[in-house]
Amino acid sequence: MPRTPHASPQTLRLFEALLKEPATRRYGYDLSRETGLASGTLYPILMRLTEQGLLEAGWEPSDQPGRPPRHTYRLTGDGIALATTRLADAAAKDRRAREAARVRPV
Amino acid sequence: MIRTAAHRLLTLAVRGRRDHGGPWGEAILAEFDQTMGMWAALVWTAGGLRVAYREQRASSRTHKKVFALAACVLAAAVAVNQFALTLTYVPSLGMEPTMAVTSRYVTDRVAFRVTGVDRGDIVVLPIPGAPDQSTERRVIGLDGDRIECRDGRVFRDGAPVDEPYLRAGTKTDCDPVTVADGTIYVLGDNRTISADSREWGTFRRDSVQGRIVLLG
Repeated sequence: MPRTPHASPQTLRLFEALLKEPATRRYGYDLSRETGLASGTLYPILMRLTEQGLLEAGWEPSDQPGRPPRHTYRLTGDGIALATTRLADAAAKDRRAREAARVRPV
Repeated sequence: MIRTAAHRLLTLAVRGRRDHGGPWGEAILAEFDQTMGMWAALVWTAGGLRVAYREQRASSRTHKKVFALAACVLAAAVAVNQFALTLTYVPSLGMEPTMAVTSRYVTDRVAFRVTGVDRGDIVVLPIPGAPDQSTERRVIGLDGDRIECRDGRVFRDGAPVDEPYLRAGTKTDCDPVTVADGTIYVLGDNRTISADSREWGTFRRDSVQGRIVLLG
């Protein structure tokens, strides 16, 4: 069975963080703090999503003078649709698992 | 101290000797300032090294692809230039005024073998008696054509051949022949001095080496 893309627990955590305020451009470090993902895990996911047009990356001048511009991210329309689907699927699966546990004979 | 060292290491990994690294490496580098304390900085750097490595590997793969594609295109171009479409030198005055002596023309060496040659085409032929040298002549007659000359004009199967490519006032003199199957009868456009089928006889069709495709 082919693996569902963008359904790993790490990606789902990122989707959750990005969907809170989908219109806001987010910084990589803040996303890392919020999701608890290390940069070596977070950025490869960001790269993959950007390559596939699910995430929109941009540069924003730093608020402090003399600092390099910062990279920002927000979901594209396709990205929002996919993230919503994936999170809903995960929640449904979770519910089924819990129900199965409940009906198991004691 | 450790933070500075980590930042330096990450910068080196992202940029190497360049002013700017890849966008993703630069993105991680720009976020470095946000980390609080030594531990967070080290963790951030460790992940950054992985990403920088990944990004560079991906870009070198792209470079390899571009390089491989360029090599293929070059090889194809060389092959086409050597075997399919070549430049042919005009060694004689025999095709003037259409083709100036010492000029060069683009010659099809492959496609004519499929499409065949037609009357009026200019073909490249080996020079009889010097088969490793070649020259260009115009096809006047194909299989079964009756070629003769009357009053300075060429006739094919009894009808005068329209020859707008000749210099005005050109007179052609030839002995009448019937072109045998599988052969071609050729003349140079410079009728008074050209050595051609009048002197050499007809050529076997499979001795044709190419067909001039561009007349500049």
